[in-house]
Amino acid sequence: MLDLSIPELHKALEREGYICDLEQAVTIYLALKLGKPLLVEGAPGVGKTEVGKVLSRVLQTGLIRLQCYEGLDENKALYEWNYQRQLLKIQVLKETGCAAVDETSLFGPEYLLERPLLKAIRADRRVVLLIDECDKVDEPFEAFLFELLSDFQVSIPELGTLTARQIPVVVLTSNGERELSDGLRRRCVYLYLDYPGVEKEVRILQARVPEAGEKLIRQIALVTGYLRSQAELKKRPSIAESLDWARALVALNAHCLTEENLHFTLNMLLKNQEDQDLVRSKIGLAALLNSCRENETGPQEAGRREACRAAGGCRRA
Amino acid sequence: MQNQAPEISLAIAQFVRVLRLSGVRVSVAETMDAYRALAWIDLLDRRQVRAALQALLIKNPSDRPVFDRAFDLFFLSGEAKEELFARWRRQKEAEEQKLAAAGQELAQLFQPWEDYIPEKYRLTRENLQTFTRLPAREQKRLKELIAQMRGNPVNNPGELVARVVQAALNYWRYYLLKREAEEKEVSSPEDLFPVSADFYRDPGEQILYADLQNIQDEQLPKMTALIRRLSARLARRLSRRYRQSRRSRAIDFRRTIRQNIRFGGTPLELRYRGRRPKRPRLVLICDVSASMARYSRFVLQFIYGLNSAGQKIESFVFSEDLERVTPCFERRRDFAATMTDLMNESRQWGQTTNFYLALETFRREYKKLIAPDAVFIIVSDTRTVCWEQAAGLLGEMARKVRDVIWLNPVPAAGWSGLPAAAFRKCAQMYECYSLYHLEKIFRKKIPG
Repeated sequence: MLDLSIPELHKALEREGYICDLEQAVTIYLALKLGKPLLVEGAPGVGKTEVGKVLSRVLQTGLIRLQCYEGLDENKALYEWNYQRQLLKIQVLKETGCAAVDETSLFGPEYLLERPLLKAIRADRRVVLLIDECDKVDEPFEAFLFELLSDFQVSIPELGTLTARQIPVVVLTSNGERELSDGLRRRCVYLYLDYPGVEKEVRILQARVPEAGEKLIRQIALVTGYLRSQAELKKRPSIAESLDWARALVALNAHCLTEENLHFTLNMLLKNQEDQDLVRSKIGLAALLNSCRENETGPQEAGRREACRAAGGCRRA
Repeated sequence: MQNQAPEISLAIAQFVRVLRLSGVRVSVAETMDAYRALAWIDLLDRRQVRAALQALLIKNPSDRPVFDRAFDLFFLSGEAKEELFARWRRQKEAEEQKLAAAGQELAQLFQPWEDYIPEKYRLTRENLQTFTRLPAREQKRLKELIAQMRGNPVNNPGELVARVVQAALNYWRYYLLKREAEEKEVSSPEDLFPVSADFYRDPGEQILYADLQNIQDEQLPKMTALIRRLSARLARRLSRRYRQSRRSRAIDFRRTIRQNIRFGGTPLELRYRGRRPKRPRLVLICDVSASMARYSRFVLQFIYGLNSAGQKIESFVFSEDLERVTPCFERRRDFAATMTDLMNESRQWGQTTNFYLALETFRREYKKLIAPDAVFIIVSDTRTVCWEQAAGLLGEMARKVRDVIWLNPVPAAGWSGLPAAAFRKCAQMYECYSLYHLEKIFRKKIPG
């Protein structure tokens, strides 16, 4: 499982559709080698959760996901006794006239409901445990979490201490809504994902939406990059949004950007009315198109653009 | 771990020290992790080393530019390092030569009184160093002064001259050091590293760290956008739901039933709903006197951002007296209009400061706000008349509220000349002259 070298891991990640730099690959590699949790931070939609998913594919193992939210407690994250089943058992024993109920039999493994954390610890093979949006949990739960992540064992009063059969690969993600404690940060290998540059975004789009075609992909990456550089936007478009946008344009049979299809699909990229208004009124769709054209190179490109404009921007289905 | 060369552990330890000196928090455990990590990567590949150290030592995005700069400076290639040291050696040699020349020159000037100068007034190496670094004009002036004394018939002027010269040089030393600290001159390889983190920041991010007083007008739109983004993010955090029990001893039925299933459902062990953290009531008292006008503008903009994102803050401005400005924020107009309202309706802008009078007014008219759930945020440079009375009154109020947080736009190093010490007894005072400070204080110090 861990006999990959850094370049092999890098290639494997890309093969699975996760385009990343060597630096990211080194960070992921070190988390695997040092057996430490990987803490991934970054703006929403830059591919944090995807790290966990792609790792499970690269390592060809299961993915156990714990989605965090405010109020998440140990019962929902670790384990719970199956009360209904226990009650049912007592009831059945009573009715069959069995006087002495052996209490210990009610706390056997068959009455234990394993929640994600326990499931990951008890798994027979090394799984990937994805703890998503861990900044949403309350502080006491966070403290419990990092205790668990350092020992990988759990004490269940009725069953005793359960130790991990295989230490899982742990990936934590955070949107930075709440400052995580220094203790948790210290225990993790840290990966910060930023918005990609144009070239990287082109590669991501090529890997994920190849049907969009080279030209459209380049335009999408340029426009998205340009919008991200605009300070006035309330929310900058993420990779997830540029992927959605590309898919939407493909669905409309577009092979290059025009004012018309930009107008109809802008809401795929900007999920905020104010931002859309800003682009439409202040920046202007034409200026937005120009921003990506200025960066395109060569007279051939200009010629093709003209042809594209003449064709009306969209292929007729 | 033992297999690695000792030079590597030394380099890591030194590098971590550089990071710490630049204001990055790195623990011993993290240093050891970084050291272990190096065993797994190709040490000859600079990108891999950089990525490994970054992943294990830098756990905050804001520290990344510091790391990048420190890494580039610290892990130089052999030639670059040689070059840096050669330059440093050349500098040292040139300095030594200058010192020797200056020593000779001064010795010649003092020559007639050589025997009369007591040991303690003889020029030290430090004095000579100062002399060589004086502007040429000052050097000339000093030499002329000594030369003039030559013809002086006073008995034994040697001691007097030596004392005068030494005093002048001591003054100049102090002055030069002060200027150097301000300009942060790099004079040796060691000096390259222990400089404050601000030095390393990415120019694109500079605006976050820039002193609010120095923000140029053309940077204002960028600043406004940044403030909006920061305040929206903070408001989201502040507005997280907190379930709050009506009574402190309310029974939590769900947990009680769970707990008592083992007793067949008979509630033997009761479970209570815990007291949930209550959101504090924020009260902002902002100094808008002449010296504070520019800072106040940004602080109010920040508060405007929080207000428009749903966080209620009672806001007051003061200079000679206090005025409540909360209603201006409640009208839900854009920032420019809100600020115009504020300026037009308030008579406090650009006046002198009387914090004591302002606090008196507050205590008299807004008594209700002095409550145990209130957090006071005071924005002021502490320059006020009647500061002793003001500090006394603030101390009294501080005992009745949850917390008093004082944001002082004057850097902490300059507090000694201000009545800040008196106010620090009753308020937590933080230096806050950039958006970075403002955001950090709101994020870490003000309870959500």
